[in-house]
Amino acid sequence: MAVQTQKLPYGIGRISGGWLLALLVALVFTVFGGYAYAQQLIYGEVVTGMRDIGTMAGAPWGLYIAFVVYFEGVSFAGIAVAALIRLLDLDHLKPIARMAQVMTVIALILGGLGVIADVGKPGRAFINLLKYARPGSPFFGTLTIAILGFLFGALVYLYLDGRRDAALLAKVPGKFQGFYRWWAAGYQDTPEARERHERASFWLALAIIPLLVVAHSTLGFVFGLQVGRPGWFGTLQAPGFLAMAGVSGLGHLIVLAAILRKVYGLEEQIDIAVFRWLSNLLLIFTAVYVYFMVVEWLTSVYSANTAEAQLLNALLRGEYAWIFWLSVVSLLIPLVLLIGQFATGKYRIGWLVFSGVLVNVAAIGKRFLVVVPSQTHGSLMPYVIGSYSPTWVEIGVVLGLMGLGALLFMLFAKVFPIMEVEEV
Amino acid sequence: MSLSRRDFLKVSGVTGGALVAASRLLRLETLTAAGAESLQVEEKYIPTTCWIGKQDCGMLARVVNGRVVKLEGHPANPRNNGTLCPKGVGQIMSFYDPNRVKTPLIRTNAKGVPGEWRKASWDEALSLVAKKMNAAREKGGSKFVWQKGRSKAKKFYDKAFVAASGAFKLHHGAFCSDAGYRALEYTLGLHAVLHPDFKYTRYLLCWGWNVTNAGGNKFCWLTWPQKLVEAKERGMKMVAIDPRQRSAAHFADEWVPIKPGTDLALALALCNQLIANDTIDREYLTKYTNAPFLVGPDGLFLRAEPEGEEEAGAPLVWDTVSGAAVPYTAEGIQPALEGEYTVGGQRVKTAFELFKAHVAEYTPEMAAEVCGIEAAQIERMAREIGENAMIGSTITLDGHTMPYRPVGIMAYHMAQQELGFQAVRAMVMVMMLIGSIGAVGGQFSDFTWKEYKNWAKFEHLKVQDETNLYLKDSKFFPINSNNSSVVAHVINNLSEYGLDDEVVPDVVILHHVNPLGSFPDRNENFEAYKKIGFVAAIDPWISRTADYFADVILPAATIEKYEGPISASDFYTDAETLRIPPMDPLFDSKGDIDIYIDLCEAAGILYGEDGYIAQINKQLKLEGEYALPLDQKPEVRDIFDRYARSKGLEGGIEFFEKNGVNIKGPASVSKVYPYAMEEPFAGILPHRFYGESLLVAQNDMKAAGADEIYWRDYTPFPTWRELTAAQSPAEYDLNLISYHMIEFKQSRTPVPLLIEMAPKVFVEINPATARAKGIADGDEVWVESHNAITGETRKIKAVARYREGIRPDTVAMPHHYGEYVKHPWVKGQGPSPNELFFTGEGYVAQTADQTYLVRVKVTKA
Amino acid sequence: MARYGMVIDLDKCTGCRACMVACKVENNTPQGHFWMYVFRFEEGEYPNTRTWFMPRPCMHCDNAPCVKVCPVGARYKRLDGLTATDFDRCIGCRYCEVACPYGVNYFNWKKPEGNYYLDWDDPDLAEIVGDEKVVYANPDLDKAYGPEKRRIAGGGQAKGVMEKCTFCVHRLEKGLQPACAAICPTQAIKFGDLDDPESEVSQLLREKPHFRLLEEAGTSPRVFYIGQHAPNPSVRQIEEITVKV
Repeated sequence: MAVQTQKLPYGIGRISGGWLLALLVALVFTVFGGYAYAQQLIYGEVVTGMRDIGTMAGAPWGLYIAFVVYFEGVSFAGIAVAALIRLLDLDHLKPIARMAQVMTVIALILGGLGVIADVGKPGRAFINLLKYARPGSPFFGTLTIAILGFLFGALVYLYLDGRRDAALLAKVPGKFQGFYRWWAAGYQDTPEARERHERASFWLALAIIPLLVVAHSTLGFVFGLQVGRPGWFGTLQAPGFLAMAGVSGLGHLIVLAAILRKVYGLEEQIDIAVFRWLSNLLLIFTAVYVYFMVVEWLTSVYSANTAEAQLLNALLRGEYAWIFWLSVVSLLIPLVLLIGQFATGKYRIGWLVFSGVLVNVAAIGKRFLVVVPSQTHGSLMPYVIGSYSPTWVEIGVVLGLMGLGALLFMLFAKVFPIMEVEEV
Repeated sequence: MSLSRRDFLKVSGVTGGALVAASRLLRLETLTAAGAESLQVEEKYIPTTCWIGKQDCGMLARVVNGRVVKLEGHPANPRNNGTLCPKGVGQIMSFYDPNRVKTPLIRTNAKGVPGEWRKASWDEALSLVAKKMNAAREKGGSKFVWQKGRSKAKKFYDKAFVAASGAFKLHHGAFCSDAGYRALEYTLGLHAVLHPDFKYTRYLLCWGWNVTNAGGNKFCWLTWPQKLVEAKERGMKMVAIDPRQRSAAHFADEWVPIKPGTDLALALALCNQLIANDTIDREYLTKYTNAPFLVGPDGLFLRAEPEGEEEAGAPLVWDTVSGAAVPYTAEGIQPALEGEYTVGGQRVKTAFELFKAHVAEYTPEMAAEVCGIEAAQIERMAREIGENAMIGSTITLDGHTMPYRPVGIMAYHMAQQELGFQAVRAMVMVMMLIGSIGAVGGQFSDFTWKEYKNWAKFEHLKVQDETNLYLKDSKFFPINSNNSSVVAHVINNLSEYGLDDEVVPDVVILHHVNPLGSFPDRNENFEAYKKIGFVAAIDPWISRTADYFADVILPAATIEKYEGPISASDFYTDAETLRIPPMDPLFDSKGDIDIYIDLCEAAGILYGEDGYIAQINKQLKLEGEYALPLDQKPEVRDIFDRYARSKGLEGGIEFFEKNGVNIKGPASVSKVYPYAMEEPFAGILPHRFYGESLLVAQNDMKAAGADEIYWRDYTPFPTWRELTAAQSPAEYDLNLISYHMIEFKQSRTPVPLLIEMAPKVFVEINPATARAKGIADGDEVWVESHNAITGETRKIKAVARYREGIRPDTVAMPHHYGEYVKHPWVKGQGPSPNELFFTGEGYVAQTADQTYLVRVKVTKA
Repeated sequence: MARYGMVIDLDKCTGCRACMVACKVENNTPQGHFWMYVFRFEEGEYPNTRTWFMPRPCMHCDNAPCVKVCPVGARYKRLDGLTATDFDRCIGCRYCEVACPYGVNYFNWKKPEGNYYLDWDDPDLAEIVGDEKVVYANPDLDKAYGPEKRRIAGGGQAKGVMEKCTFCVHRLEKGLQPACAAICPTQAIKFGDLDDPESEVSQLLREKPHFRLLEEAGTSPRVFYIGQHAPNPSVRQIEEITVKV
């Protein structure tokens, strides 16, 4: 789509009824989340379903941490895809690079807010996490590197990658002109500048990939390094987290791309090739994750110690079984669909969106199962078996975060092109 | 500041050093917070004593700015040596409990339903009680009743009130261990149950559920486990005889999971085996017991010709020297312990010979069948008792050479069973056979060997028509432990006991006692209280009884009062202490003694020769210069000041206020050991091995027309019979027993710190039994009890908890749930086993002692 | 400098839980918090059953998982062996709690005020209680301790922070034993300097076989147990406490 003299591309600045309605829905969720969180601020986390391990027979980490992990996982795939596109020069995928970057930034913000929602002293946490940072804590990797560092990197990348578009848009008169001029920061779409821009974003993309692996491995380390919690300790946690991050993020991206394709009528730009590529990548990640899962499952079924066996029992047959099997099914169905499409070479966007949604259900389920059962059913001490179920406050806060994510995405889409604008 | 920061960096073992360096500026907030320690704090320790539990441990109250912040053990008190039990340390909360009765309360609604109250002044409340009390006093008899739970000090001010007011007194002992007390009073003349000489015992039979859970005879919980642990470290072997293992836990070297209520059979089987193994102390039996007395065919002793008309002659023994029957008191004789002799033309046997014949049927196999245990276990126990008794050995302590028989029994609440009196007698007889009574390392009961008034009384048991509210000296219960549930039963069935309305009380004063909460059977008590005109309760909390029936509640203080004197002896060290108030009585409450002084003043019985003050002087032996003036209202502190001075303590009460405890020194060997006394066993001899007067009583009861159910257990030797509860239909297949948890035993106070640890009542059940009934661990169940005499059934709902350490045919429930109904922490605690137990015939012992055993069926709710 | 440790003789423990209550009163911990907990165990099947008890304070591990994971250094090791919690610094992330295999951490899910069993705002108590959150408030708990001068004593300090057994650091500075050790009726809990070979605890460890909990987790606890055995999967808890706030 060429830049027109009157209209900005991709509906920027134009407010439609559908968009408004969607925004309203997102806003309602966000406000509800805020209300729920206010309850927590006033009364303390007693309003959540979390309680202490031991005599309280509870889980001190619950839905919040599960979703922090989930959000961070989603963010991973976004930036990874954007970086791969740049690194491998996948030109036909360029249309989804921007949305992938935005998804990353938003997911990271949600992850960060999830952490704030979880801690008992949110105000103090902002200061102390930096002031007294302890690199020895896996939380340092999660919070400082994964969220803050990574968020910084993703923002820089988004910013640099968007400079060219901003420069183009700045030429069009309108209320956002000043904003685009600021973003472009003197960028002129000259060949030299374009080349410099290409080079910078290439190196940035290159740098982001290992950072990404490190960040998401530390997320796995948050659990994988804990020898005292059956089900957590293990070398597979880090790569498993990485794989699951890919699965959930790619699933998200597929859904997002399909929605935008529909909303903006971008059948030309986001063609089936984009989805084929995303589909195949999702297939790889899903297969790898399923492989990890089976390996882990076999290992513990075959030779679990008592504590592991108790945990496994809760997962396979006990109170968590429904989540476990729902997650497994939600992974296996997409896997079959993806393999089928790969084998036949026929890719259907409908099936892909279905798969994308399912793998995210699985991702949320599996994140929950990583976080919670090891606390309630994974005690090495002879305490009574614990239990955890989230309260409306926790569910409200999580829904609020999701609403906020949608809200941010929709707002972004109204001020900046959600896809790279074509050359004038 | 800079110094502390360096240290902080050094100490905190920093992992992210670089970042910490960057954060120096921000350290300020912590340092400011740390600097806020300049507040003036006035701190002191006031010695006092525990108010929960039985043994009144010494305490130090840490008082900060006039507020007690902690209760710690008094290090010098021999009973607790600086330590406390969970109740002791937790009761701090009860001081300040806003749910205490803060002012005198007068009832504003009907009785028999949860109470509504209005606040009243002390004057109004006391004059109301005094008026009612005086009206009842005039009628005499049992019209004015006074009842107290355990006194938390010497009972002097209680006794003074009873004496001054002429109140009819009810006890609490029939719900505690009084059947055992009666057995010991009858057999040895001592007022106590059974405990060993811990310092020297090598083999201990722990009989019942008190071992690690709730203390034992004479001591509450704390001294007992301290001595137990010391003895175990010394190498003492311990056998736990209890349907539940929880009571003895890992301290038991062997667990004998006996069927509830069958202890008598086990004890007699042990006697059988001791005789079979010939591990018996003939010297003790011959010299100090009536075992060698010759018994005629009528079961009575052969006696010498009476010297006077009133006196019966001395019982005869067979003198092996002269080959003749002679009075056992004769000089220079050698009585035969065993054998059959011809005296005056009739064949007679020694009591011991009769005993041998009596226990012949109690073979290990027979007892194993009755008790539900292994015969081999009984045989092994008997062998070990015999071996460890080291019969014939002596030990010299402090110049006294005495028999050394390091085997003893610990028994306390287990005495409260249908055959309680005779079961404890049978247990004592085990110890008598090996000569362990009063021997070093052997069987003890009281702190010293001192004759109790019942020793003489029980020689001739009164069986008379004229009786009273608790059936004293009656054809029903000639030995009588004053069971207030029996009283309730009698009130509800007056004609059956030949009584009329005359005995029904008009006025009852309940002091720290809660019959509806603490005593089985709750229904019987509830019905009886409906018939009582006026009830006044003295209590810091509203008890279940007060809530339903009190007309007036007088708020008593808890620890914050003067009370005493209190023995601090641990058996080996003599000491005495007082309760000193660490602060003034909270709210508008008063110390118990203050309440009695005020009440007596209002009733006009404080002053004068027979007044309350005079009675206090008498009870505390305050004479001469120490005596309280009879015309002047005393200060409670002054009473104890005079007491302390009368004991020769410099400074009087100030001695206790400063030191807390008066250590008199180690108890002398001649005080502790009856063999070291000037007169062995303080002359309380001969020990009643053969219960002749029991047989006489039985004959008298029969003659007076008493039913068999009353007289059947009045036998000279303990005799096993099937328990009443066992006659319930087969569907009631489980025995329900009860016990106390250490968190609550005798706590008389709803302490949230303790309730939090054991919030709800539960039913312990063996998993095999439970599974067969489809009951899972944690399931709610119905427990339904059955009265084998009346056919009545009752049921409650509670949570079942699996326990491998309980007999499969037995379930158990703890007490002390739901007693102080108005307290927020008591609500929802669940029912009490007292709702399932029965009182009355079949469910009380021959001594009117309450039993805690009933047949139940348990079904999933 | 002394390096403290605890030796608990399970052969002496009667499971009375006096230590739990003493701890609660001394440290003013809110309802539902048991810095000291006493397990009551049963194992085996009738009639070969065994019942025993095991107090569980914080293990004050030398290689403490909680210290390693704390993102802000609020949980830290002191030179005297104590594992301390600076409640002024804690952000309440509860990572220490999930990392600890012993279940000794208690989070202030609620505002501590109003979480002390009874209503201490009663007007009749106002004069005595003042503005304290609990009537038996211990004045020693708000002070800063150790050369590092950090506030690490006592419980119920603030909503949203983590707390646990401090070995009664405020008593140690006065030369007193921790509250649990001082109260124990059978003196089953011994506390002292493990670096001093003459201390009672060191002597006990020399004389008697001992174990530590989850030693295989590599946490190097400073709490040692004498007698009985480490709890294994065959022990069952009885009379367990599961109080939620």
